[in-house]
Parts: sequence; structure tokens; C-alpha cells
Amino acid sequence: MNRSDAAADLSRVQSSPVRGKSGVQGRPGASRFTLYNMTFLPSILFFVLWELLARANAALKWFNPRFLPPPTQLIEEGWKLAQTGIILDSIVSSTTRIVTGFIIGCAAALIAGVLIAKFRAVEFWFSPVLNLVGPIPALALLPLFIIWFGIGEFPKILLIAWTTFIPVLVYTLDGFKSVPSTLIRSALSLGATGRQVFIRVMLPAAIPNFLVGAQVSLGLSFSALIVSEMMGASSGLGYIIVDARNFFKMTNMFIAIILIGLEYSLFSWLLRLVEKKALAWRKDGLRDAVQR
Amino acid sequence: MKLEVRNVSKSYGGRLVLREINLTVEEREFICILGHSGCGKSTLLNMIAGYIPPDSGDIIVDGRPVTGPSRSRGMVFQDHALFPWLTVLNNIAFGPRVQKVPRQQAKQMAREYLKLVGLEAYESHYPAELSGGMKQRVGIARALAGQPDILLMDEPFGALDILTRESMQAELRRICEKLKPTVLFVTHSISEAVYLADRVVIMKHGIIADVFEVNLSHPRSPHAPQFGEAMARIERVLMDDERAGADGAAEDALYAVKAGSA
Repeated sequence: MNRSDAAADLSRVQSSPVRGKSGVQGRPGASRFTLYNMTFLPSILFFVLWELLARANAALKWFNPRFLPPPTQLIEEGWKLAQTGIILDSIVSSTTRIVTGFIIGCAAALIAGVLIAKFRAVEFWFSPVLNLVGPIPALALLPLFIIWFGIGEFPKILLIAWTTFIPVLVYTLDGFKSVPSTLIRSALSLGATGRQVFIRVMLPAAIPNFLVGAQVSLGLSFSALIVSEMMGASSGLGYIIVDARNFFKMTNMFIAIILIGLEYSLFSWLLRLVEKKALAWRKDGLRDAVQR
Repeated sequence: MKLEVRNVSKSYGGRLVLREINLTVEEREFICILGHSGCGKSTLLNMIAGYIPPDSGDIIVDGRPVTGPSRSRGMVFQDHALFPWLTVLNNIAFGPRVQKVPRQQAKQMAREYLKLVGLEAYESHYPAELSGGMKQRVGIARALAGQPDILLMDEPFGALDILTRESMQAELRRICEKLKPTVLFVTHSISEAVYLADRVVIMKHGIIADVFEVNLSHPRSPHAPQFGEAMARIERVLMDDERAGADGAAEDALYAVKAGSA
């Protein structure tokens, strides 16, 4: 294994393809340049195929070419659109909404989780109500929020926060409930007070679950963001989509959709980064179970 | 430090798990509670730790009844119960920290106990990165760092392989020679009990069947004839059926059958 690695290194340093293929190398998995290292490849292939399909369609007229503009045209139109400042404005307002709503939702869920886990009375009075309203799809509440609070920022952020709140709360509570009793017992036998047990044992033990909840609800929060921008907004990525539909600006629609995808990926990546930092102590999963 | 268990009984779902248990642990004594699984030995230890209350009777530490867990009774668990999100050093410093020892001083204390169990090189590792034996060493260091009056150990080496187990027993003896703590150690291994304890308390079906003094000097060798003798004596009590105990002949016959089948 080490020797074949060294051989691969050598071939890289000398950048001699002949030597690299000369059979000194072990199995392909041992070398540094493998197919699976090129994580960007599938995405590039996706856009290339899209481009080819759109161009072929433009030439052969299988269906209206406006329905599926090629990526190169999207970049061109996107650049024009960016110069008017609309894209930047939309990204800024959408990002502000999702960040505010998501953070408020997560924080509220964590606080509610702590209160429910700590105080029996809170659990008694609130759990049934949460079980009642929790399963209602948050998007069904949007028209109600608009009627109550108007079409400003508040109902949108409230909707995003509410969408985030329920799953994060459910996961966090599950985390509190599944803290191993021996951890609590050992803390007590080391002289910890009830309060210290909560802060030093229960909270850190529930953090992994909390983060899973956050990751799960991120997708839902984005849906809430886009839908709330589609109904009664004058800015944001969701608004671009509705506007594009009304005026049949297909390229704008695609640009907004792609930007939403990119923004979601960015946030998901950031969240995973936080998770990795916060859970550095964890060693499990399939990758660690069977090392290759 | 003196621990007294007075007429303690406990039942679960109508089944009597412990019946009128009386036990006194003197200062600096190492006691092993030995018994089959389900004989109530862990229940007794958990009650002494204060995790579960007895149905009747009293558990008294230094003249005061036990009402719940406290730092005076440190616990080592079979599954080590280390905090997975804390490094080895912070795990050991947990006790001093919750007892309001300043951070740096707590770390210093933790380092001393880490040195005692020989894991100085691993202070910034997380528990998941350690082997089973190493985790249990940290568990012992953490319990000791909490400055307990009595150390309760619930089958601490039960999940370890036999080689690790033997080295851990020697390790624990070495620590005991050094610190002379009071220890109450639950196990189902006869050789472990004879190797470690000053007194072996044998529990059967929720009662204390017998108590043996092990008058051998440390370090004890499992190959010494007296060691084998002590084990045989304990085994006889442990393996005898209660009903056979009423009749000496039946008892001997039963023992012969059991010895033959073993």
C-alpha cells in the first residue's frame, strides 16, 4: 500500500504519464488521481449534457426552445441581469430573510427544548399543543400570516422561523430524552448539581441531535422562503420566479432556480462545517467502520 | 469514613430483589460483592450510590443517611460512562470543576490522576479514540479525581477481554496500595474477588450468603495454593443450591455432580 502510494507520488512528481501507467502502480484506488477524487465532474457533465440537449433542441425544434435555454445563454442573460443590480438585491433580501428566520427558529427550538426537558409543567401544557399544530404544513399558514401581519418582512421571517422550529424542536427533545443515564449518574456522583448536569451533560449530549434537526429543517426553511417570496413580495429569488412566470421570462426563472440551488448548497455546507467543528469528538459512520 | 447498610430491602414488580441486607464497610477497606447476575448486587451498589432509594432500611455514610447521589460516593461504571465530547483530561477534571475548583488547578489535579493511571500521553484524546482498557483507566481516574470517600465500582472490568482484565486488576491493586481508598467492588468473577478484596461478600438470591476474609498479602498470585483454596471455598458457597444447604449429604452430592459436570 505504502509502496504503491510512493510509486504514484513519483509518477506525479515526474509528471510522466508513461511511467504512471507502466504497471508499477498497485490497484487504481491506491493512486492519488482517481475518478472519485474529481467531485466536480458529475456537475460539469450535467451542465454539458444540458447545453447539448438545449442546442440540439434549438436546431431540431423538438419543443419550444424557450422552455429550455442552454446554460451559456443563462450565463449571458444572467450577466445582463446582474448589471441592473436586480440579482444582488434579490440575493441580499433572500439571504437576510433565511438567515434571520433560520437562526430565530433554531434558537427558539433550543430554548423551548430546554424548557420542555427541564420543567414538567411546560411539557404538560405545551407538548399536546405542539403535537396539534406541529404537523400542519407551515406553508398552509402563510395566507393567514399575510392577513394578520401584512406583506412586510415579518410574516416571511415568521414563516421561515416556524418551519425551522418544529423539526429542530422534535430532534432536540429526542436528544435530551436519549442521554445515557450513566452519564447523568456519573456527573451526579462527581458532585454536579442539577443545574450543572443540565449545562454540562444534557446540553452537549443533545447537540448532535439539534444539528441533525437543523440540517433537516434547512430544506424546509428554503421552501418557506421561496413560497413566502412568491406570495406578496417585491424582492427576492422567489419573487424573480413569479415575475418571470408573469412575463414569460424563462431565462430569469432558470437563473433564480439555479441561484436558489447554489444558496442552499452554500448554507448546507456551512452547517456541515459547524457540525464537523462541534462534533470533532465523534468517530463513527460507515467511512470509519470499514477503512479502505 | 464508614458505610453502614442496615436492613435494606428492595423489590421490583412484586419480586424481592434484596432481603434485609446488613453490611458494614470500614475505612480503607476493599470489599468485593460477588454473585451471579440477578442476585441484586448491582441494585445494592446503585442504592449505596443514591441512584435508587431502598424500600425499607437505611444506608448510612459517616452517621448520615444517604438521600441521593453525592461526591462522597464516586462511581465507576462497566460501560465507563465517559463524556464523549470532553477530552480525557477534561473528563477527569469534570469532578473538580463542578466542585468549584478553579480551571487551572482542576487541570493540574486531573494531570496527577492521569499520571496515576499512566495515560499522560493521551490527555487531549477523546474517549472514542481509546481502547476499552484505557477508557476504564480514565473512568477510574475520573472517579478518584472527584475526591470520593468511597469508590463504588460496578463490574468495571466486565466488558474487557481476559488479558486486559488481568492487567487492569493489577493496576487497580497498585493504585489502592498508593492511595488506600475505601472500595466497594461488584463482580461475578471469583478470581477477581480473591485477587482484589480484603473481604468478599457473597450474595445469592437477594441475601448475603457468606462473608470471607481473604488473609493473603499483596501482590497475590493466582497460582499460590492459598489462592486456590480461597477460590474453592467461595465457589462452594456460590454454587450450592439453597435447598441442598439444608441437608449436608445432599449438599455434598450436589457439589460432586456440579464439579463433575464442570
